[in-house]
Order: sequence, then C-alpha cells, then structure tokens
Amino acid sequence: MTLGFGDYLSLMGAESLLTGLVMLMILLGLYLKNKNIQGYLALAGLGIALFLSIGADMTKGPIFFGTIEVDALSQFFKLIFISVSLIVVLAGLTRYKDSPAQDEFYILLLLATIGMMVVASSIDLLTLWIGFELASISTYAMAAFDKEKRNLEAAMKYFIFGSVSSAMMLFGFSILYGLTGSTRIAEVAASSMEMMGPATLVALLFVVAGFGFKMALVPFHMWAPDTYEGSPTIVTAFLAAGSKKMGFVAAFKVIFIALVALRLEWFMAFAVLVAITMTLGNVVAIWQKSVKRMLAYSSVAYAGYIAIAFVVVGAVNNGGFDLGVAQNGIAASLMLILGHAFSKTGAFIAVAVVGYMALREGRNNPDDIEHYAGLGRRAPITAFCMLVFLFSLSGIPPTAGFVGKFLVWGSAMDSGLVWLAVLFALNSALSLYYYLRVIMYMYMKEPAGAKIAEPRGYVLAMVVALVAVFYIGIFPQAFVDFASSAAAVLLH
Amino acid sequence: MIDNAISLMIAIPLIAAIFAFMNGKFAKYAALIGSLIPLAISLQMFREFDRTTNVMQFVESYDWVPAIGVKYTVGVDGIGLPLILLSTIVTVLVVLYSWGEKKRPNQFFALLLLNEVGVLGVFAALDFFLFYIFWEVVLIPMFFLVGIWGGPRKDYAAIKFFIYTHVASLIMLLSIFALYFSYRTPEGLRTFDMLTLLAATGDSTIFSPMALNLIFFGLLFGFLVKMPAVPFHTWLPDAHVEAPTAGSVLLAALLLKMGGYGLFRIIMPMLPNVSPNYITLMAVVGVVSIVYGAFLALSQKDLKKMVAYSSVSHMGFVLLGAGALSVLSVQGAMFQQFSHGLITCVLFMSAGTIQHTAGTRIISELGGLADRMPQFAVLMMAGFMASLGLPGMSGFVAEVSVLAGSYENLPIYVLITVFGSIAVTAGYHLWAMQKVMFGPILKKYLDLKDPHSYEILSMSILVLLIIYFGVQPATITDIMGVAAEPLVKPFITLAQTGVI
Repeated sequence: MTLGFGDYLSLMGAESLLTGLVMLMILLGLYLKNKNIQGYLALAGLGIALFLSIGADMTKGPIFFGTIEVDALSQFFKLIFISVSLIVVLAGLTRYKDSPAQDEFYILLLLATIGMMVVASSIDLLTLWIGFELASISTYAMAAFDKEKRNLEAAMKYFIFGSVSSAMMLFGFSILYGLTGSTRIAEVAASSMEMMGPATLVALLFVVAGFGFKMALVPFHMWAPDTYEGSPTIVTAFLAAGSKKMGFVAAFKVIFIALVALRLEWFMAFAVLVAITMTLGNVVAIWQKSVKRMLAYSSVAYAGYIAIAFVVVGAVNNGGFDLGVAQNGIAASLMLILGHAFSKTGAFIAVAVVGYMALREGRNNPDDIEHYAGLGRRAPITAFCMLVFLFSLSGIPPTAGFVGKFLVWGSAMDSGLVWLAVLFALNSALSLYYYLRVIMYMYMKEPAGAKIAEPRGYVLAMVVALVAVFYIGIFPQAFVDFASSAAAVLLH
Repeated sequence: MIDNAISLMIAIPLIAAIFAFMNGKFAKYAALIGSLIPLAISLQMFREFDRTTNVMQFVESYDWVPAIGVKYTVGVDGIGLPLILLSTIVTVLVVLYSWGEKKRPNQFFALLLLNEVGVLGVFAALDFFLFYIFWEVVLIPMFFLVGIWGGPRKDYAAIKFFIYTHVASLIMLLSIFALYFSYRTPEGLRTFDMLTLLAATGDSTIFSPMALNLIFFGLLFGFLVKMPAVPFHTWLPDAHVEAPTAGSVLLAALLLKMGGYGLFRIIMPMLPNVSPNYITLMAVVGVVSIVYGAFLALSQKDLKKMVAYSSVSHMGFVLLGAGALSVLSVQGAMFQQFSHGLITCVLFMSAGTIQHTAGTRIISELGGLADRMPQFAVLMMAGFMASLGLPGMSGFVAEVSVLAGSYENLPIYVLITVFGSIAVTAGYHLWAMQKVMFGPILKKYLDLKDPHSYEILSMSILVLLIIYFGVQPATITDIMGVAAEPLVKPFITLAQTGVI
C-alpha cells in the first residue's frame, strides 16, 4: 500500500508539529525582547503533540521507504517522552523565567524530544542512529546549560562517554550492514540468524555495549551518577526519565535480535549483568549524602529492574515457554518504564525545588540530604509530592511504580526465574532504606529554616507527575493493555 | 441494609482522613465522625449477618484490571467480620483516647484513619492483588506514627519496622505469584481471586507437592512475621517501645491480627494439601512463642516493653489453636484474636497514661500510683487481670478454648504451654501491677491526678466490652465456629496425617 502525503502528516503529526515549532522558535528568538512566551509555545506544542501521537493510526504500516513505523511500541514511548518533556517545560517556566537564553533551553529540549520520537518509530538502523544522535547532541548541550563549573564537567563526561558509545554502536551497525547487506532491523535479524558467526557476535557485542551506556547498565554506568549530579536538576530529570528510556526503546528493538541470534546460551550472562546492576545501584545509593546522586544510583538500579525483560525473553526462548510469557515480560518492563519515568521526573523536580531553596539561602551542596530536614513543614506540597514519588519508586501501592514492579515480579516468576525475582524483591526492600531516609528527613526532623514560597512552575510540574503516578497506579488497565500491544509488536 | 456496605466502610475513613489532614483544628472531629460511621456500618453488618452459613456475605465484585485478572472483590465471613468489628471499635476508642493530641493533630488523626482504611481492606479483600495493596498500605501510617510521634530511637524503630515487614510481604507476594501463574480458570484466564486460587491448591494436577510446599512456606513466613511469632518477633519490641500510645495500640490490636487473619483465611485452607510437618511447625512455633514470650515479658524493666512481649505470648495461642485443628481450638484462636485486640488496648493505654502522667515507664521507678489515680487503677487492674486470664473476662474464654480444644490432638503441647507459661504470665502481670500501682506512694508522685476523662472513658468502654465478651462470648463465637468447621473438616484425626 502506498501512502500519500496526507498519511505521512497524520502519522508523523506530532514530529512534524514539533519540528515546525522549533524552526518558529528559533526565528522568534531573533526578534523577541521578552522571551518568556517561548516556554508557553513549547508547552502548547507538546500538549498538542501528546494528543496527536495518542490519536495516530497504528495500523498503517511502515512509511518513509520502510524506515519508520507508527505502532503501539513507538506510541507508548512517545507518550512517555512527550509527557516527560511537558513536565520539564513546566518546571522550566519558573527555572528560566526572564533568563536571556531561555529559548535555547526549550529548543534543545524539543529537538531532543523529536530525536527520541524518531528512535521510538525507527525500524531501520540508520534512522535509529540519526534519531539517537539528534537526542544525544541536544542533551549534551542541555547538561551544560547553566554554564557553571560542575555543569561543564558533567556535560564533558556525558559527551565523551556518549560519543564513544555512539561510535561503538555505529561500528556494530556497520559490521551488521556489511554482513547482511541491509539496515532494516527485521532483515538484519533474519539474516544474522542464518549466518551466525564470530563477526556477528562482535557486531552484536558492540551494539549491546553502545546501548548499555545509554541505559546505564553496569559496567557501563560510570558516567550516569556524575552527569546526573552535575547537570541542572531539571535537565537531570529529563536525562533520567527521557533520554535513558530512549536507550531502552532502541535496545528493545535491536537487542532482541542479539538475544535471538545468540541462541541464548548467553542469556545467563545477561541475567548476571542485570543482577549486578540492580544490586550495585542500590548498595551504592545507600551511602550517598546527596539526594540527587542517590536518585542517580537508584536509576542505575532501575535500569537493572527494567532489563529483567531481556532475561525473561531469553529464558522464554531458551526454555520453551510460550510467547505469551515473553509478551507479559516485555509489557511488565514497559509499565515499569512508564512508572519510573513519571516518578523520577517528579522526584528530580522536587530535588530542584530544594536545591533552589538552599541556593537562595546561600548554602553549599544544595542537594545534601540535610536540606530536606523538616521539608514537610517548610514546603508542604513539594514534600508530599516527593513522598509519593519515593513510595512509587520503592514500589508501595497504590502508585505507578508499584504496578510496574508488581508486573515485573510476576513475569520473572512466570518464566521460572525465581532466583531473579527473589533478588529483585530483596533489592527492592534494600532500596526502601534510602528512600525512607529522605522521607524521614522530610517529616521527622525539625525544620532547618522558615517556610518557603514554593515556585509555581515546579509545583505545577510535580502535581502533573503526581496525578499521573496515582492515575496509573489506581487505573492501570488501559496502560497495561497498551503496553501489552506494544510488546506484541516486538514479538511478531 | 445499604448496598456496598464494605466499600463505604473503607471509603469513609479515607475521605475523613483527607478532611482531617487539611485542618488541624477540626481534625479530631473529622476523625471521630469518620470512625463512628464505619463502626455503625459494621455493627449493622454484624446484626444482619447470616450466622448459619459459611458463604461470603456482603460481597461486592467489580472488574478492575481485567488484563491481568484483577478484580475489586470484597466480602466477609465468620473469619473477617469479627476483626472488622474489632477494627472499627478500636479505631473509635483510639481517636477518643488521643483527643488531647497537640503535636501536628491534622497529620496524626489522618494517619489513624488511614490505618483503619488499610486494616479494613485487608480483612475484607477477596482478591490477592487487592489484599496485597491494603496489606502494604497499612505500613505507611504506622511508619509515620512511629517516626513522627515516637520516642528517642524512633528513626531506627520506624525504618526497621517498615523494612522488616516489607521483606516479609514481598516473600508472601512471590508466593502469591506462584499460585497465580499455576492456575487458569476453565475459560483459560488468569485470576487473582483468593477463594478460587485457594480451592485450586487442592488439585494435585495443578500443583506439585514440592511447589505447593514452597508456596506455602512463603505465605506462612509473611504471616508469622506479622503476627509476630518467635523468632521473627524482633521488630515488635522496637516498634512498640518507640511508638506513641495510639500507634502501639493500633499495632498490637489490629496490625498483629492481620497475620492471624492470614493464617485462617489463606494458610488453613491450604493445610490439607501440604506437608503435615508444617502443622507440627505451627504448633511448635506457637508454643515457643507463648512460653518464650512470657519469659521475655517477665524479664522486662520497661512496662511497655513487657506489654509488647506479652503480645507475642498471647498471639502464640492463635498459632497453637490453628495448628491443633479441632473446631474448638480454631474457634478459640479466632476469639483470641478478637479478645487480645481489646485487652491489649487497655494495657497499652495504661502504659501510655503512666508515661505521660508519671514521666517514666520503668517499673522499678514507679510505685503506689493507685493512691492518687484510683479510677485509672481500677481500669488498669481490670486490663491486667483480663490479660492474665481471669475467668469472667474474654481472655480466659479464648485461651481456655484454645487449650481445651488442642488437648484432644496435641496433649503434650498443651501441657508444655500450661506448665511453662500460665504461672509466669500471672507472675509478670501481678508483679508489675503490684509495683506500679500498689504499696506506699512514692513522694515524687504525690501530686498526680487521674488522667483526662477521655482516656478514662475509652478505657472503661474497653473493659466493659472485655467483661461482656467474657460472660457472653457466644455473641461472636458462634460465627467463628461456623467458619472454623470447614477449615477443620479435611482432618479427621491428626494421627492420620502424621503430626507429632
């Protein structure tokens, strides 16, 4: 079936709109004196894009010469990316109000979002890589946005690690292309199954390593805590909740080839990697005094939880379970990603509020846990939102994080990986310790200062995330269905 | 009767909690109203309850997450209803007892109500997903009650309580998953429905004995930690000693009962199909808890810690009664849950009142308080007598039922219990009472007065209830007996199953 221009527009409506908006904002930036309006433009654009991508027809098949496909998987991730950007823009409205370069922040953010959306829709290695780079380069600049010393260090680290991982990935892709003569993911998968050899293995290892960096799986996680800690906090929210999830969607698309091709003697190696990732993330998080860094390590642990899906799929391929088990496993991970995206964005924005407050009071180390003392009375809304996000991250019902963890536990049990499920449960209990410690400081310590006026944009952003966390936690049905059909896309 | 009684009963405290949270001045009134309405509903349910059958009553069932077979299903039978009644009664009285709370009253009363939401949900849920959610929700208010209003080591106690019981819940959850993934309904769907899954455990084509034993162990572990039974009781004294009085009361009267409830609702229906060694294990753990708990209580210097360990001892009777598998013992164990819920309230309230009037709970530093606090002394004495098992009070009925019922199947265990704990139990109660209340009054306590009327009122109501159920236990034991019969039916004699 050939699709006309009208179809392209309706399928890629959100991307087209945002691209157009970016152009417009660049132009406006040249002429406008008061740039505060740019933030609202970005907000409106993202709001409309959210509706466009929810409404996109998921049955049309590939477009752009078979490189882009709009399906449940891509739309599921676009939903996450756009929502996270939306929340970050809300916070940015306060953070960069009246700042002379604020339009650049929104432009970079939108460009990164477009890049991620392209990755989510790609079914071709090249478009996937281009989307990846668009998102990565934009976020490198965002990490250094405040141009403070620690920003620059964070951005530099992120840039170096990021470019090395991109190079590895591209190298892997080029070997795959040389071997199979195609860049379409499906064709690469089919051919590499037929002629599995040492070269394929090397190529896949490069690809896995490249994605491993983006997903921050141990041993590729070293950059994440430093970058997360050094970046402006609302950018950290975007990196942890958006950019990292892009790594996951790309990995879902590509690593499954690896898992199928490697014939799964390797899935045990992956299982061990996952086990180490979550344990290391949690153990190191316990020792952190900076809440931001603690959340960064908890992100590493989460990468491990989410990657359980790979192990489940591996186990299914290996052990002759039916495909339904694999589908549930992937859907469970998608739900965990969804829950983590909202909870982490929200949590980092709460950290931003505290940091903002601490800086105004002239304190050093704005993210230190000491500044959370008595937050429940100093900034009641922020503290309450943070409380919910932390409970969600630790998997206490009725929150989005609970639903995700619940499903992942279930899928691990279902595929016979009882040891992994038990380890996950123990890790989850361990993580409770450092989440509870923050809650303790917020509600059980005497306040360290007077009540503060909570910045409106931040509050709005947190409330949006809070509503999402509760809504997904209490009415998960629609999301589970969506995740399940997204998982089906990967397995057909 | 109004429709959706159970949902209303769960929703009203939740709404009241939001109101209480918003305004500190009216928080206590919101809490009182928000807990009185559920009490009225549960009393009405108790009146309308059909006492002759064992089917679930007041059932409500709606689809919730059909994708994974989750339904919102609630209902009660003779196992759940008495505990629901207990929860609503205790919450009202705790609100009353805490009427004078000055520190952050809005959060305090909201948490009391939130606790009621969770506990009622646990006792009414008939879907494992729902059950687990309420089971976990209960942790949150208790964590804050201990952590904000607690004593000097509150941080440690609150975190230990949360993590310890959370780990147990997670292990229970993994077992629930194992049940869930083993069974498909005739239509080929998955379900979290509790009764369906429990009935399926009897089908040996679905569950291999090995798998079922593992699943059973996970569930049992979750409940034993909650009860708590020796050797998983170490979180309890810390939580109790540091918790404020209201927190201790709710913890001992309601949260521990969740473990016992799980025993009757989930463990006992599975018992016929698992290794009989588990029955021995339950009985042994029960007896050890009774005896060891009593000795631990005897050795305490802190009045509240003594009461906390006495809870371990008394909850041991629930395990022993459940493990003995006769109608009388199981019914007695269920009644022990109800009765201990009332009695322990009086004990913890006494310890709390002494703490805030005399300023200490160390038994050796107190003396002769009865001289200045006569009304309080009567109530505390009544509570202690009930706890040590004075005839005419509910504790006596419950413990005698357990012991008499168990003697038929487990005579040795009963003998060990009787000789090992009865005298010690009487000893620590009387000794503490004697030292704290009687004898010549110490000089520093000369200007003490009876506590506030609201404290006296709530303790008096409890004592009256204890006496009422001691004289007229059949008001509530009849429905427990009906519920106990089908649990015991599969076992004709224990000798056949190979229990030692």
